[in-house]
Amino acid sequence: MNSGSKRLTRKLLAHAFLILFIMMIMTPFLTVIASSFSRGNFAPSKLIPTEISLNHWKYVLGIPYDEVVNVTTGETRTLKADVVPIRWFWNSIKISIIASGGILLLSGTCAYAFARMKFAFKNQTMTGLLILQMFPMVLALVAFYTILEFIGQFAPRMGLNTHAGLTLIYLGGVSIYIWMIKGYFETISTSIEESARIDGASPFQAFILILLPMSAPIFAVVFILSFISYMSEYPVASVVLQTGDQWTLAVGANSFLYEQQKLWGRFSALAVLSGIPITVLFIICQRFLVSGLTAGGVKE
Amino acid sequence: MNKSTTKLIQYALAASVLLPLFYVNFLMYMSGNILMAMGMLGLLVLGIFIYASHKGYVYRYLFPGLLGFLIFVIFPLIYTFWISFHKYDARNLLTKERVEQILLSETFEPEGALGYAYKIYPGVSFNTYQLALTPKDGPATAEQLPPMFLSPEFSLPLVDDPQILDLSLSPTPPSGEALTLGEITRGKLHVMLRGLKLKLPDQQIVALSSLREFSTQKPVWEKTKDGGFKNLQDGTLIHAQSNSGFFETEDGERVGVGFRTWAGGENYSRIINDEQIKQPFVRIFFWTFAFAFLSMLTTFALGMFLAVLLEWEGLKARTLYRTLLIFPYAVPAFLSILTFQGMFNQEFGAVNEFLGALFHITPEWNTNPWLAKTMILIVNLWLGYPYMMIICTGNLQSISKSIYEASAIDGSTPWANFKRLTLPLVLPPMIPVLIASFAFNFNNFNLIFLLTGGSPKMVGGAGIAGETDILVTYTFNLAFKNSGADYGLASAIATILFVIVGILAWLNLKKTQGSAS
Repeated sequence: MNSGSKRLTRKLLAHAFLILFIMMIMTPFLTVIASSFSRGNFAPSKLIPTEISLNHWKYVLGIPYDEVVNVTTGETRTLKADVVPIRWFWNSIKISIIASGGILLLSGTCAYAFARMKFAFKNQTMTGLLILQMFPMVLALVAFYTILEFIGQFAPRMGLNTHAGLTLIYLGGVSIYIWMIKGYFETISTSIEESARIDGASPFQAFILILLPMSAPIFAVVFILSFISYMSEYPVASVVLQTGDQWTLAVGANSFLYEQQKLWGRFSALAVLSGIPITVLFIICQRFLVSGLTAGGVKE
Repeated sequence: MNKSTTKLIQYALAASVLLPLFYVNFLMYMSGNILMAMGMLGLLVLGIFIYASHKGYVYRYLFPGLLGFLIFVIFPLIYTFWISFHKYDARNLLTKERVEQILLSETFEPEGALGYAYKIYPGVSFNTYQLALTPKDGPATAEQLPPMFLSPEFSLPLVDDPQILDLSLSPTPPSGEALTLGEITRGKLHVMLRGLKLKLPDQQIVALSSLREFSTQKPVWEKTKDGGFKNLQDGTLIHAQSNSGFFETEDGERVGVGFRTWAGGENYSRIINDEQIKQPFVRIFFWTFAFAFLSMLTTFALGMFLAVLLEWEGLKARTLYRTLLIFPYAVPAFLSILTFQGMFNQEFGAVNEFLGALFHITPEWNTNPWLAKTMILIVNLWLGYPYMMIICTGNLQSISKSIYEASAIDGSTPWANFKRLTLPLVLPPMIPVLIASFAFNFNNFNLIFLLTGGSPKMVGGAGIAGETDILVTYTFNLAFKNSGADYGLASAIATILFVIVGILAWLNLKKTQGSAS
């Protein structure tokens, strides 16, 4: 065999491997789509549903539909979700956007001080921030519960079972983002800011008018990363939010899968409906993210 | 806009933020949380100082972020650490003050108690009611009606248990129709009324004694000078025992509910000495390390392999492949994990349907511990390889192509190239990423909790530990699964976990700073 045909076989092998691999990777998506259109609530198992039904989609979107109660008499009843599941998606989006915006505000200003100013114990504070943040949020739940219960006595709209309370907890997770933004600030030369200062700009003006516009990419990365991590957050939301109308997507989606009765059809419809926008957003923002990710940071 | 209006707006803004905060602070003080109120006042004054004085200029940027960090990261950490030295679980749940309150509110019906007939009227808003009480053997002649005592409106079910309301003398009954006995029993109101204590104008307490009647009550317990309680019915003395967290009689008999109490290092020593806890803890501890290490290794290997393959310039459609391969990373992880839970269902799931049709095997992913662990690693590989691939690609692209040309002249195979050139160049900058991946998986709560929930159950795990549990899910279950609620022990394990991950983070920091300089 000469080296030319050897190369060709290798190429063919590589293509065959990649195509097979991608097909394997994609099956979960296909089974979920199939399961959302199937009749009955069975675990995702087929690529093509045997009996097509739109009931799960109607349920998730809050459209009333008829369900057969008694097979022999053909008796039906009209079914409509008490809490329309699509509301959980909206709750999640709302909380994630507000929390991510807050994170930008808090971590951006902190990062500016860390990158451009001198103060006592600066390095120790930075190290402390990073290491203390390693304490997993899940294990601080007893404390979170106590804090929100306490706050709720004085400001019921920020206590347990409120979106504001959950957002407050999420705002505590600033340190990774402070590190990321600070790292980016440090790659930008201080010379423009310094000349602006000589012209009489205050440090705050230098920050808002000069540094911020130049750092737009890192703010986009931080926003997307925190948005995605809050969309996926389960444990804290599941303990803080107690009633169905307040749930986030993660808590609501998991509520379809009780130990005794797993409603795979409804779960699948909700997963497809809410998964698609997030996935599309991610693919669009991917180019931004690659640069941010290589700077270090792990998706949650 | 001139300077004075700007100033005015500034003051107005500051006042609109500060006044509500001071009001909340005042409420906090009034409700008896003096320590918390002082702390909040201190933070408020510090905030005002920072934003008003030029000395605090740097901290204007740091204050909001660090304040959030203080309240929602540092405080929970200290609180958890503090709980880890306490006996605090389902049996010893309340504070000692609360248990004392409950004891003091317990009442009994003494001999010769006065009976009161009651009527219940629906209140103005939904689920609120008003009670009217009349003495059963009071002066009831034709001219003189018996006195009638009215309660304020209250909601059922009761907000507090027990709840104390003051009665007031009233010449007329409340407006509206009183509920009939049937309505009371049908709505189970008589059950909900049990926790209600009513105080007559002469400070006597009355409580529900039967379906139709309230009667005067006396408190069961009286506080003694040495901090204990005396039973006024039979004269028993009880004292708080800080070892057990219960009030106990002289004979060691427990009375009432338990309270939280200092336990020293007991929670930590239980992990080492109590076989019921030690056995599952040690197994979960090793599985957590194995899981985090294997996840890191497999995702890195696959991600690296794909990255190298896609760097091959002769290959067509590389960008398309790359985009498709990133897909698992783009979907919210919890949705994928829950989907896999269904696909790996050993009876109905897609995986066994496929394996059964093709190879006639149906592995027991849900009941066999080893297969369950394998399943977790497969799912985590699916979730984690794209991230590794992205980062490896970034690193590979920074390697100069000329070194491969030199080795091509030597006639090296691709594998030799990879081993001798690529890996030594890519590995050092990957080490912080690998450590971060290890630390992330070490506490990968969502994966385990949503995929298996820790099942199958571990033999000898006291019903809480599962074969696939990692430390963080095990701890969560200890604290929040109904049968568990052992906050003290959970906090002790949480503290240990924090130390492990904290050291990893510190090592990683040193590595990153080392490679940067």
